[in-house]
Amino acid sequence: MENNLLIGLSRQVSLERQLDVVANNVANINTNGFKADQSLFEEYLMSGAHQDNFIGRDRRVSFVQDRATFHDLSQGPTQETHNPLDVAIDGNAFLVVQTPGGERYTRDGSLQVNSAGQLVTAGGYPVMGANGPITLQQTDHDVTISADGTITVLEGADTRIDSVRGKLRLVSFADPQKLVKDGSNLFSAAAGVAPQADTAARVKQGFIEKSNVNAVAEMSRMIEVNRAYTQVTAMLQQQSDLRKSAIEKLADVPA
Amino acid sequence: MRALYTAATGMAAQELNVQVISNNIANMRTTGYKKQRAAFQDLIYDHVRRIGAQASDQGTILPVGIDIGGGVKTVGTPRLMGQGTLSPTGNDLDIAVRGEGMFKIQMPDGTFAYTRDGSFTTDQQGRIVNAQGNLLQPTITIPQNSSGITINTQGQVSVTLPGSTTPSILGQISLTRFMNKAGLQPIGDNLFTETPASGPPQDGIATLDGYGDIQQRNLEQANVEVVSEISDLIAAQRAYEMNAKIISAADQMLQSTANMFR
Repeated sequence: MENNLLIGLSRQVSLERQLDVVANNVANINTNGFKADQSLFEEYLMSGAHQDNFIGRDRRVSFVQDRATFHDLSQGPTQETHNPLDVAIDGNAFLVVQTPGGERYTRDGSLQVNSAGQLVTAGGYPVMGANGPITLQQTDHDVTISADGTITVLEGADTRIDSVRGKLRLVSFADPQKLVKDGSNLFSAAAGVAPQADTAARVKQGFIEKSNVNAVAEMSRMIEVNRAYTQVTAMLQQQSDLRKSAIEKLADVPA
Repeated sequence: MRALYTAATGMAAQELNVQVISNNIANMRTTGYKKQRAAFQDLIYDHVRRIGAQASDQGTILPVGIDIGGGVKTVGTPRLMGQGTLSPTGNDLDIAVRGEGMFKIQMPDGTFAYTRDGSFTTDQQGRIVNAQGNLLQPTITIPQNSSGITINTQGQVSVTLPGSTTPSILGQISLTRFMNKAGLQPIGDNLFTETPASGPPQDGIATLDGYGDIQQRNLEQANVEVVSEISDLIAAQRAYEMNAKIISAADQMLQSTANMFR
């Protein structure tokens, strides 16, 4: 008797969580290098009492539960900024960032220089080169970042000869779905997920990778969630009305 | 319902984004202005089901997890220090830097501030000052009745004194560099001050060590590109509206729950 209420509840809880995921995607629609999340649901068969020996067998009750969120790791659109320290990655690779908690990976290529001359992310963590953090010198100017990530500068009064300052370390993962979002545009690798050097990815200087959230898709998903939720509510309401009238009719003791 | 708060962080971020963009557009004709940009990052995630967690005692692990994000935060409004275009003005004391260096200005309290705004004038004593009357460093005094002020690419200021036919050098304008110009603190009036993030000031001479050269009778315009600002503004406004839609969707869902049983 109460199953319909509980089944409806399981759907409502999962829809609420799906809206949370949509809300996070929409909130990050202007976050550089952000990768959208999507929800997956699965059926959960109730293992309660049921009798299968009748001709018309009892149907097992199935609930819905959210199974997972997965990252949509497709390339976001790139915007030209003309800023020499903005890099967008064309390919599956990530930049490597050194944080106090260990190595993290990011697609947010809006780099900065800190007071020590190190190349850092907007959050202030050093971006790793092939041989550790990349440090620029006081007199460097006209930074050039080539397609393979090599960083060259003109030094001092020199206007012709490039000095190499390092090469951005680009890594990719065999199964990038196993990356965990850490916030602050960073991904961390779970145990046993090893980064591999990526030589196929290309770095584009003066561009920034925007969020890959598809606004139209998120808005229609939001409407879908909203309508589904309202439908479940209406269904539960009907069940409630049914029960209410049943109680009224059946318990109506003639005076 | 978490979506309400998540969408609220999105609205707050886009509001700040519109503020930054409008400040850029308001300063599109400000000499030496450097545009800012709002940088966003995703907030922490709630790992409801942690990826890679043990799924059974047979050693199988979860291939995917449930991660619910909490929205967006603003991590900073870095300034993009790219070169602005130089526009000729014909004024003798309008100077622009083509390169990395900044002019050093002495504030009334004796501290120093730095600027890319090279529209200078002279005060009643003939000293070169900025629009607020603060002294350009090092102090250079232009004698009365002198003519033909010339500032060369190295910043040497020379004039022709009365009764003389050859120009005489009065002094040399020095330039200052910072390791991280984006880390300077803006104090208004086109001025910046040193911070721990910018690194210490490095004084030097124009044309040397990448300080850039000085161009007389030119002013550096703002490096704001109106087209990209307007398209960013449209994107920010739409993003704001979409976050508001999420809030109303969450509200409707809560409302239908509240009205579920009469």
